[in-house]
Amino acid sequence: MIELKGITKKFDNTIVLDNIDLTINKGTAFGLLGSNGAGKSTILRLLSGVYNQEGGNLTIDGDTVYDNVETKKRVFFVNDETAQFSGYTLTELKNFYKHYYPNFSEELFEKMRLTINLPTDKKISTFSKGMKRQAIVIIALACQTDYLLLDEAFDGLDPTMRIIVKRMLVDAMIDRQLTTIISSHNLKEINELCDTVALLHNGKIVFSRDLDSVKGNIHKVQVVFSQSNENQSQDYTIEELAGEGLEILHFEKSQSVYHIIVKGDTELVKKKIQEKNPVVLDIIPLSLEEIFIYEMEVLGYDFNSLENK
Amino acid sequence: MFDIDIQSRIPIYEQIYNKVIELIIKGILVENAQLPSVRNLSKELNVNPNTVAKAYQELERSKIIYSLSGRGSFVSEIDREKMKERILEDFDICVRETLQFGLTKDELKNRIDGVSL
Repeated sequence: MIELKGITKKFDNTIVLDNIDLTINKGTAFGLLGSNGAGKSTILRLLSGVYNQEGGNLTIDGDTVYDNVETKKRVFFVNDETAQFSGYTLTELKNFYKHYYPNFSEELFEKMRLTINLPTDKKISTFSKGMKRQAIVIIALACQTDYLLLDEAFDGLDPTMRIIVKRMLVDAMIDRQLTTIISSHNLKEINELCDTVALLHNGKIVFSRDLDSVKGNIHKVQVVFSQSNENQSQDYTIEELAGEGLEILHFEKSQSVYHIIVKGDTELVKKKIQEKNPVVLDIIPLSLEEIFIYEMEVLGYDFNSLENK
Repeated sequence: MFDIDIQSRIPIYEQIYNKVIELIIKGILVENAQLPSVRNLSKELNVNPNTVAKAYQELERSKIIYSLSGRGSFVSEIDREKMKERILEDFDICVRETLQFGLTKDELKNRIDGVSL
């Protein structure tokens, strides 16, 4: 289990992570979402011991990471930058990592290498961007660590390689309770791979929950209210609906149809709106992409504010 | 057989749950038939094994499947009443839509008489 308690990280005077609490259970595939510069990579670098925090406690299974060789043997970090040891050949790079990671499996490495046909004797500098990614990812999986950190690692991989990696992750999760932490802007990928997600913004955690409950807790409501005697639709303002105890993220009305994004338990939302005798009431769950956009909109980070300036 | 829609708004575990029931209703999964292992189904669908395991746990809790430790998951004795209820719920939704659109119940009855297996 990974525990972050009150973690603060600064670069000079800029606060990058602001008093963060986060728990990641063993055996989960954890997705880190967030705007650019939200602090996702910084969290991964703290977890791999690249950085030390200015405040708070960070432990993996109860042990600290920074300058702790024993913990670091159990964590593999796939950086989002591919420029690593480019003078090495694949075999040299593999041997370098093998030296640090005691569970390294030659068999697993060779199996994956042959599947994707990576040359062993050419310098990494001659590899394409995608091949560099492939090289480090198969080394990462062959190291068989308890924790695998992937910083936008899927972004440079082709569809076949993505499936190979995903299948390897499935085996590792079932066979040895691998914990994977993935940061990505590809929400489809996160949706497939992860069971738990956290959303970061400006160095703070907006939420950290199991993916199904995130999806079940935010809804798009399309509603038309009954018409009164004067043949006029009854009007509700956002304030009136919020006054009913509905947490409204987004409110839009076109003609008589209201499009509202509401947070909360489905049944409760349904009950509150049904009290107002709607003619039409549709409650639809949101896709992860929509959740991301609406949550960020509440925080003042949206594309509409760009157009209004 | 277990196709699901990753882009859908419906949680993946719920889609798997519904799919198993659908396959039972269609007679593709029969009593005591073995379900794919969590490992194989996750690989086939390219989804997280915890998600598949969660769907299986929910199915087991609803007594739709049972598991034998070390051997896998199997379809339980099929509760026809429960399945009937599920199909009729979907039927009701369709009926409500047609009534809202202005069709009469007689029109619907005629339509039902015209449908054959």
